[in-house]
Amino acid sequence: MASSVEQSPFFQQARAKGAIVVKDPPKFDLDSYIANYDGATRLERLHHIGASSTYLALDAYRMAITEAKLGRNVKFYLALTDDFNKISPDDSLALVDTAWVEKRNRDVKQDQDKLEHELKSYKNNLIKESIRMGNEDLGHFYYACGDYTNAHKAYWRMREHCTSNKHLADMTLRLVYVSIAQRAWLGVQSQLVKVDASQLKGDEKNKLEPIVSACSGLAHMCTGNLREAANNFIHTSPQFLTLEPAAGIVWQKEVLSGNDIAVYGGLCALGSMDRSDLQTKVLANGDFRNFLELEPHIRRAISLFCNSKYSACLEVLEGYRTDYLLDVYLSRVLSVIYNNVRTKSIVQYFIPFSCVTLEEMAKKFQPTGDFGSIEEELEDMINAGILNARIDLVDRLLISPPTNPRYDVHTDALAMAEKYDHTLRLRLTRLNLMSAGLSVTPDKSQNKEGLDPRFAADGGLGASLRGLGSRMGF
Amino acid sequence: MSSELLSILFSFQPDDVELQQKREYDNQARNFVSTLSNISPQHFLKGADTAQDVLELLNPEVNSIAYIYALQARILAAGDSPKSPKSIPDHLRPGGVVWNKIAQFLETFDPVQIRYVGSEWRKLLEYVDRVARIMGTPGVAISPIRSGMLRLDPTTGTFTLAHLHFIRLCMENRSYTAALPILDNYIYSLPAAIPKAVLEQLEYSVPSADHINSGEYIHLKSGHTEKITVTDVQEYYMLGALAYIGLRQFKKAMEFLEHVLVVPSQGLANGLMLEAYKKWVLVSCLAKGSVPPTPRTANGQGIKYIRAASKAYEALAEAFTQTNNLPKLKAQINAGKDTWAEDGNTGLVNELQDHQYRLYISRLSKTFSAIPVSNISNGLGGSVEELTDYLETLIKDGHLNACIERMSKSDGEVVLRFFLDPTQGPLAKTEVQQQQALLEQTQRTNVLAEQVKSADYRLSLSKEYVEHLKRQNKKAAANAAGEAMDTTWDDGVEADEDIMGDMH
Repeated sequence: MASSVEQSPFFQQARAKGAIVVKDPPKFDLDSYIANYDGATRLERLHHIGASSTYLALDAYRMAITEAKLGRNVKFYLALTDDFNKISPDDSLALVDTAWVEKRNRDVKQDQDKLEHELKSYKNNLIKESIRMGNEDLGHFYYACGDYTNAHKAYWRMREHCTSNKHLADMTLRLVYVSIAQRAWLGVQSQLVKVDASQLKGDEKNKLEPIVSACSGLAHMCTGNLREAANNFIHTSPQFLTLEPAAGIVWQKEVLSGNDIAVYGGLCALGSMDRSDLQTKVLANGDFRNFLELEPHIRRAISLFCNSKYSACLEVLEGYRTDYLLDVYLSRVLSVIYNNVRTKSIVQYFIPFSCVTLEEMAKKFQPTGDFGSIEEELEDMINAGILNARIDLVDRLLISPPTNPRYDVHTDALAMAEKYDHTLRLRLTRLNLMSAGLSVTPDKSQNKEGLDPRFAADGGLGASLRGLGSRMGF
Repeated sequence: MSSELLSILFSFQPDDVELQQKREYDNQARNFVSTLSNISPQHFLKGADTAQDVLELLNPEVNSIAYIYALQARILAAGDSPKSPKSIPDHLRPGGVVWNKIAQFLETFDPVQIRYVGSEWRKLLEYVDRVARIMGTPGVAISPIRSGMLRLDPTTGTFTLAHLHFIRLCMENRSYTAALPILDNYIYSLPAAIPKAVLEQLEYSVPSADHINSGEYIHLKSGHTEKITVTDVQEYYMLGALAYIGLRQFKKAMEFLEHVLVVPSQGLANGLMLEAYKKWVLVSCLAKGSVPPTPRTANGQGIKYIRAASKAYEALAEAFTQTNNLPKLKAQINAGKDTWAEDGNTGLVNELQDHQYRLYISRLSKTFSAIPVSNISNGLGGSVEELTDYLETLIKDGHLNACIERMSKSDGEVVLRFFLDPTQGPLAKTEVQQQQALLEQTQRTNVLAEQVKSADYRLSLSKEYVEHLKRQNKKAAANAAGEAMDTTWDDGVEADEDIMGDMH
């Protein structure tokens, strides 16, 4: 069964396109994993897992299709069945339920007409609150249909009809929510800034803070800004876990779970911070500890890194690579994060040594497959300026170059003196030319003849110099 | 030969006790020059080529002023602007009697006296230049002109047209090495208009005084040079750079080209700057491996125009620095073949190709401490033997701090081993050497500081500066009045404090 899934046209296409395809079974259980989520993200996650893991593809797609039939997003349902058809054409769920599709399409159309009609009548009545709510309903409706662009527009139209700060904040949060679904991370960031700057006071404000920091962490992570992402995640308050729904959204279920924050935050921190920062800002951070307790292996990886047990740390991370590749947000940045952790480990590992054999390096840091061999990886790191070392390909050693500060200072001083000397000479030449009243001035007589005015002055002389180089026999 | 003439000629004796005072010397010299310039050339020609020849009687080292007039008289008699070899008499041709006397004179004249007869000196050098060209052997003029310039001013730091004529001569003759003694001297001064009051009457400013800066006695009125233009200066630097390129001293060539680029301009550039920029891009690749930012002193707008017109060269330089993509440079070179040929830069562009291999290998030293030659040949192409030979020449020429090792094993693998410690290997410098280099640099900087000071001094003599100073003084005077009021107010405060002090 599994092999037929692997060989199915869908995964062959995915491989040809270079998309991520995972063969190994992950450590988590699909049912309990997906039970953490709700709403649109649940479907999206199922779809991602189904499209990436050959092991879980069947289960995930079955669940997704069943779920999709309960919702209003017909397009998504069609896409799912289309994919599933390529994986397992014999499955009953792989056939499109045309009757349902037609009925649902009709319903959707009806609902849309109804909502738009309602909004129109609200507008005629000129009651702000009703118009706002009408737009909101329309936004919810579009969101449920998977039409995120129109949802965004509808929510945005609420703006001028908001009468209280709370309404404004809710609207902005809704916009954040839609932007996340659209993967428009810059939009997410700009909306989050607005939430942060909203004029809510006291409790209301405190409630929003964890949401803001978690979502901006996500946005930073997805734009590849690991350091900022780590900072946002590790400062997310544990309140997040027990937060009441804000703006009608249960954030810890419909966007990010507490486990996600622990994993994203921990990995981003590992990928961007040095050992002392990891120790003080992550492990000793009371807020983040609550999250880390949910994912003990992340905590273990970080403490292993802090204790200079790099190969053990990498081993832990490698063990969970499959899981993280199946995460809808993490899969795209995972290789960057893992590479960062790996190069940092190599650099940190090499610091106390003056010389290590390449075999030892290869043993400590199992090649991941991005590079053909450990020396190619090391060569790349040295060329990129990350690792300060030299490779001896003959005796197969990695050597730390000897330093000679006294010599360096002398050389630097000499180079600097020469540079200043030359600059001063150039300036003196210029000064002399100016004091002698000599400068390049536009030649008016030649301008009239239609010559290029920029090179008018002495163009002829320059031309006569042409070819001098070749005449010199050089 | 009239004894009268001789007595006049010998009347100026620079070693006289009375002339120890510079002002006295100055007066005497000026009078002597004006007397001599009034004597008709015919007088000098009496008894020419006999034992009674003026040139035989006068000592070029002591009676330099008189001697140069006598030489001019001889030249004038033969026509000072000959048009063809026929119109030059034998004794003035290279190797002729008078030619030899000119050459000897240029090597031995008294520099202080010649400061007073600048135009005669200039004419003499021009004549030598002209004769050599007409005779079809420009090379013979290089040495006399060079000694004439160095004798007058050992630093040759004040620009004269003689500089330009000299370097032109060297370039036409491809005698780049011969040009070095002049080129290596920095031009720290340009002939400027110096106020008359400064030139006369002042003990330390007259031309005969002991000047460090040759700009004090070579200026617009001294006659050593005709009026120079900005293109003269640029052309000198341009040709100088070409000479350095010819000698493969790319760093110096680059510095010379920068002098062309920093010329003051009103937001525009001229053809020489364009040519200089193109060569500068190439040469800085050869000297430094990449293109540094253009000198900050250069006019931004002008540089912009130039850069827009030399995009091809910048693309070439970019391809040059990408050592991980060697074929790209080759492709660029082929693509722009006509451009390089038209600009006369084909030679330099081809040089880039060879240099890129060198750059590639020297970059290896930043990654590897030892690497089998076969690995390098995989990246560069070519057989191991060829590459080994190439590497050995690089090491011998001092481009690599490395050595070639042949493994004793039977497969005979050849290994390139770099020296990681800069104090080891063939290019190692000991601390003493470094210290020596630092000391030399200090000296150069000190000399430069003096030159800056004197340039500053000359600026302070200019009309514009005096005007500026006047205005400053007026302002200061106005401020002083204000300050006077301030002090009275301050006094009041102090009095207050005193009262407070008493209360305590």
